[in-house]
Amino acid sequence: MHSSGPPQKGHCAGAIDLPVDEVTCQQFVELVTQYFEGALAPRTLTQVEEHLVMCDWCVTYVEHVQATIASLSQLREERSPEPPHAVLAALRARKAGGG
Amino acid sequence: MRPESTLAPAQVAVQDEQTVAALRAGDEWAFRDLYARTYPMMKRVARAYVASDAVAEEIVQETWMAVVTGIDRFEGRSALGTWIFSILTNQAKTHSARESRALPFSSVAVRDANEPAVDPDRFQKDEDAWPGHWATPPRPWQKPERRLLSLEARGHLKAALAQLPDRQRLIVGLRDIEGHSAAEVCDRLGLSRENQRVLLHRGRSRLRAALEEYLETADL
Repeated sequence: MHSSGPPQKGHCAGAIDLPVDEVTCQQFVELVTQYFEGALAPRTLTQVEEHLVMCDWCVTYVEHVQATIASLSQLREERSPEPPHAVLAALRARKAGGG
Repeated sequence: MRPESTLAPAQVAVQDEQTVAALRAGDEWAFRDLYARTYPMMKRVARAYVASDAVAEEIVQETWMAVVTGIDRFEGRSALGTWIFSILTNQAKTHSARESRALPFSSVAVRDANEPAVDPDRFQKDEDAWPGHWATPPRPWQKPERRLLSLEARGHLKAALAQLPDRQRLIVGLRDIEGHSAAEVCDRLGLSRENQRVLLHRGRSRLRAALEEYLETADL
């Protein structure tokens, strides 16, 4: 299953680095998916996490994204339709023919 | 059978071997298990190539027929899922060509359009006190008594999902609705991790904005 929250500590495969000293809110909202996916370079991850300590509004934005993902998961249909008759017939023919 | 995204590569290979043997023997239980696990992703991928659910369903059925009748030709050089999806995308491309539709993952770079996650007007400008910080910040959605999305809000979300560009809707569907991993999605669709992430980011951003607009109106 994918991550819909902050990455595990130290995990940042395929990392992305920003040449800035601090992250603004406008930059943060563009980084949030990479943050969830663990794709930020250590330095940028630190800047993002420092920003979230200081910015309740961006924490709210993270909660928005998490709520959106959670809501999407509720749209999953639990049952697939019945396999098509012709495909089942072909499968049964294999069995009858000894596979 | 366990979902492929929860297994290590060696475990996938073992599970594949068991599944292939069962299919060759005409094992209906094994087939139904594989079908149920794979159908949602197959339907979403097929639907990204064609104009209607009915044609997407046709593509999925044609693919399964090809899998069942051609399983003896599967040599195990790729994962079973990769093989199934290569058949699916070939079938989908054939149908797509008949409809003269642009393919969803053609060579056009994913980065060709600039699409900010949030309306830039919601942030302070260079001449303001805190450039780049919120001018119109997001408000909390969660009320303790409202944990689950209401039916009406869910309908609104579905409508917003239907309006996403095809590629964004497909990636959001596979990752956030069906719960597939990034690795699985990139493998099945032949996408780079970065391109997949860009599509996911844009799709999620649009849906978040649509939910925000709806929920703030509903709260009035």
